[in-house]
Amino acid sequence: MRRVLLLMMAALAVLTAAADDDADVTALRPVHSAYLLEAGGSRLADTYLSPIPYEGIHFGFTYQRYQAMKFSPDRWTMSLTLRLGLDKTDNRARNSSMWDLSLTADWGMMRRYSINRWLTLAPGASTTLTGGAIYAAANSNNPVSAKASWTVNFTGLATARFHIKRLPVTVTYRPTLPVVGAFFSPDYGELYYEIYLGNSSGLAHAAWWDNYFLLDNLVTAQLEFGSTYLSVGYHGSIFSTRVNHLTTNIFTHSFVIGIAGEWLSLNPRKGITERARVIHALY
Amino acid sequence: MMKHVYSLILLLLVLPACHTVDEPADSPDSNFEALWKILDEHYCFFADKDIDWNAVHDRYAPKISDEMTREELFDVCAAMLDELKDGHTNLSSAFNTSYYREWWSAYPQNYSARLVEQCYFNFNYLSTAGLQYGFISDNIGYIRYSSFSSPVGSGNIGNALYYLRTATGLIIDIRDNGGGDLTNVETLVSHFITEPVLAGYICHKTGPGHDDFSEPYAFYYNPAPEGSVMWTKPVAVLTNRSTFSAANNFASIMSLLPQVSIVGATTGGGSGMPFNSELPCGWHVRFSACPIYDAQGHLTENGVEPSPGCAVDLDPLQALDGHDTIIDFAISLLTSPQ
Repeated sequence: MRRVLLLMMAALAVLTAAADDDADVTALRPVHSAYLLEAGGSRLADTYLSPIPYEGIHFGFTYQRYQAMKFSPDRWTMSLTLRLGLDKTDNRARNSSMWDLSLTADWGMMRRYSINRWLTLAPGASTTLTGGAIYAAANSNNPVSAKASWTVNFTGLATARFHIKRLPVTVTYRPTLPVVGAFFSPDYGELYYEIYLGNSSGLAHAAWWDNYFLLDNLVTAQLEFGSTYLSVGYHGSIFSTRVNHLTTNIFTHSFVIGIAGEWLSLNPRKGITERARVIHALY
Repeated sequence: MMKHVYSLILLLLVLPACHTVDEPADSPDSNFEALWKILDEHYCFFADKDIDWNAVHDRYAPKISDEMTREELFDVCAAMLDELKDGHTNLSSAFNTSYYREWWSAYPQNYSARLVEQCYFNFNYLSTAGLQYGFISDNIGYIRYSSFSSPVGSGNIGNALYYLRTATGLIIDIRDNGGGDLTNVETLVSHFITEPVLAGYICHKTGPGHDDFSEPYAFYYNPAPEGSVMWTKPVAVLTNRSTFSAANNFASIMSLLPQVSIVGATTGGGSGMPFNSELPCGWHVRFSACPIYDAQGHLTENGVEPSPGCAVDLDPLQALDGHDTIIDFAISLLTSPQ
């Protein structure tokens, strides 16, 4: 009962804060967008396809969007991440290739806390939809291991702002850690042909850390040369599942480079009032 | 509080490690053990064939040594796989592919493509999408489908059946058809049924134990779409020992249709759908992994027998005179009053 009361008080505080924001000033909430290309190394293993791990190269493209949320822009940030990943790997004997293609969409909310004038921490949660497949070119009846999942995640954003000489720099760290969800996996020796015939039982599995583990880390340094920023950094992902006696590992480490910027949509009829205030999504 | 945080961090570090797939060493012993284990955990016919796989390991493991060449290792591994007596089980390397041939080499071939093409068609037949077809004697239609790997569409089959529509009976020759894609089986069967039929049951391994199998799943084939050319007149499906895998499935499904007779010799079996895997050295292995049972729940790994009274061999002496005795038997069967 005490917990329920605390939750209700917290909700009331949020709503009150939102009302205060609206009453005081017009909040201008620029969208922080980043378009990132990544390239690096990859290690794939999927025992449905092969008991041997494969190693190779990883490429990816990420679109990331942050914006202070309308209901409480001083405190809450919304994030949207769309990511396309492609891995091309070979076995140790170099006579067989394995490809991985994945598409991820993640939407989340984070509560910002300004620790000091240069550091902001924003813990939060997100939900992710992922689809893709690993393709083993040498296999005939079991050439593909399809991947699909929906997860609810711990996530967060740590933002540090400082200057290198006169150049403003924003360093962000975005970890994502799924906690619960659901994911697809065929049975141990089940052919996709059997699924095609209509046997869909036992394909969906509840996900938790014991059978579905993903830790995604993205660190970028945003060099603010002008209105468009150069973003460089590191993206690492550790993905591991074990279900139906089948194990999948997808480990990637990549160098990231891209452009970013903040974009503001204004209604020319309304203009900007004197009390307007820009609220950045990251800090 | 900090104690919980430390526990969480420890958990996050340990959990992915539990799932790690390790890279095994590439040595003769490691490759041999990897091959044995792949089969041990995935092969589906140990019980049906009464194979003691542990005993097989104990017989072949002493033949492995660090000094042996790749070719010698391959020969030992291939001999071990031959113990399974399975036409779907192969080991492939850059220099050789092992193949258990006795499932067909120990039997009469019962088919000569030249004999059929020359003596029954004078090399004058129609051909589309892997199908060869035309009329042979006594107003009997003939369709040869040499491989279920050849993509065939409902339209191709419809054209052939429409061309042969005036025939009093139809021969479908799948001798020497080593199999292919089961969806082609479904497409072909769909022109010979007028309502959904139980085509069989499929199951799969649910774990590494020899007895870890799913419940058999019944699957059905539907008739070809409305407007398709259908065939309801008598049919003779010609088979030999080299009728294997998907062709074996086709024979088992057709054998249960009332207007169909299986003529020739017992098929070669191959009712386990194969999986692929690989060894640390890069050799690939294929093996039977998912058993398919016929509509009566019988395993056809050892073949589909001809219909009662329809077991016929190709007589080599008659072949010298231009007669395929299996075709001749089918013609007399299809032209005789039912």
